Amino acid sequence: MAEVRIAAELRTEFGKGAARKIRRTDKVPAVLYGHGTDPRHLTLPGHELLLALRTPNVLIRVQGDGVDELALPKGVQRDPLKGFIEHVDLLLVKRGEKVTVEIPVTVSGDVIADGLLDQQLVSVAVEAEATRIPQGIEVDVEGLEIGTAITAGDLKLPGGVTLVAEPDTLVLHVLAKPTAEPEAEAAEQGEAAPAESAE
Amino acid sequence: MLIPRRVKHRKQHRPDRSGMAKGGTRVVFGEYGIQALEHAYVTNRQIESARIAMTRHIRRGGKVWINIYPDRPLTKKPAETRMGSGKGSPEWWIANVKPGRVMFELSGVAEPVAREALRRAMHKLPMKCRFVKREVGEA
Repeated sequence: MAEVRIAAELRTEFGKGAARKIRRTDKVPAVLYGHGTDPRHLTLPGHELLLALRTPNVLIRVQGDGVDELALPKGVQRDPLKGFIEHVDLLLVKRGEKVTVEIPVTVSGDVIADGLLDQQLVSVAVEAEATRIPQGIEVDVEGLEIGTAITAGDLKLPGGVTLVAEPDTLVLHVLAKPTAEPEAEAAEQGEAAPAESAE
Repeated sequence: MLIPRRVKHRKQHRPDRSGMAKGGTRVVFGEYGIQALEHAYVTNRQIESARIAMTRHIRRGGKVWINIYPDRPLTKKPAETRMGSGKGSPEWWIANVKPGRVMFELSGVAEPVAREALRRAMHKLPMKCRFVKREVGEA
């Protein structure tokens, strides 16, 4: 996976006042830590960071102000409504170092007509080299029968990637489609449900 | 309808309506969801009504999750009553919903069906809402 270069400035002012001032200039307060080093507080450009973080487990090269490190996003705080990034925790990594990350599980294909796919796990924890983290794992569910279950142990992982999650963790299974809701049927038959209108 | 089985205090103060949702702001169980854009007290009747609107539209297939629970009682004094003589009697059960909260989730149906089902459900809710999708792999 290619790394994304992001220019960083060291941050000297802390607290919500300083953080808000940074956010007003379209930048994001961040912290960089790991490998037993002291945390370094940074300011990162908002738009570039937003684009970089669209890739799961993106490898970021943070450069500037005497900092030149490889890092992985460990925690991202976003505004729940507007979606902009409020703060990022970056974890220092080295080339060739094995890291444990959550990678997305995506589904392709359709289950049989009467089946309902229930995906229990949308990401799975794996151990991989920091520079070779897979973008995701695809599971083909084409034509899966009702009652079929796929566990974490059944996932086909790329070379150099090992599973950290329990192998018997359920990833997805195929259920029978529920029949029409009984109350909906009753309502369609006579609209005679006085309980709701009694009050 | 959703009602708590047992509560510690029958009558409570009205819940705080300030701030944003601290958690439950992303779609995690299903593929699509309804996100609140405003504060509101959502009653158990509104939750049930939204659920019915959704499930009747998707008919067979699809799975619905309700991520909010009406665990707060609201009281009301009878009409034309003089002030005083204690707090009114519990009248409604509500969920205190703050902006950003994903209240309902849906999966197992095509996106156009989900959009329409959730649009119908939004009409039963007392605040502005929007349709949201699960973001795959975004950090």
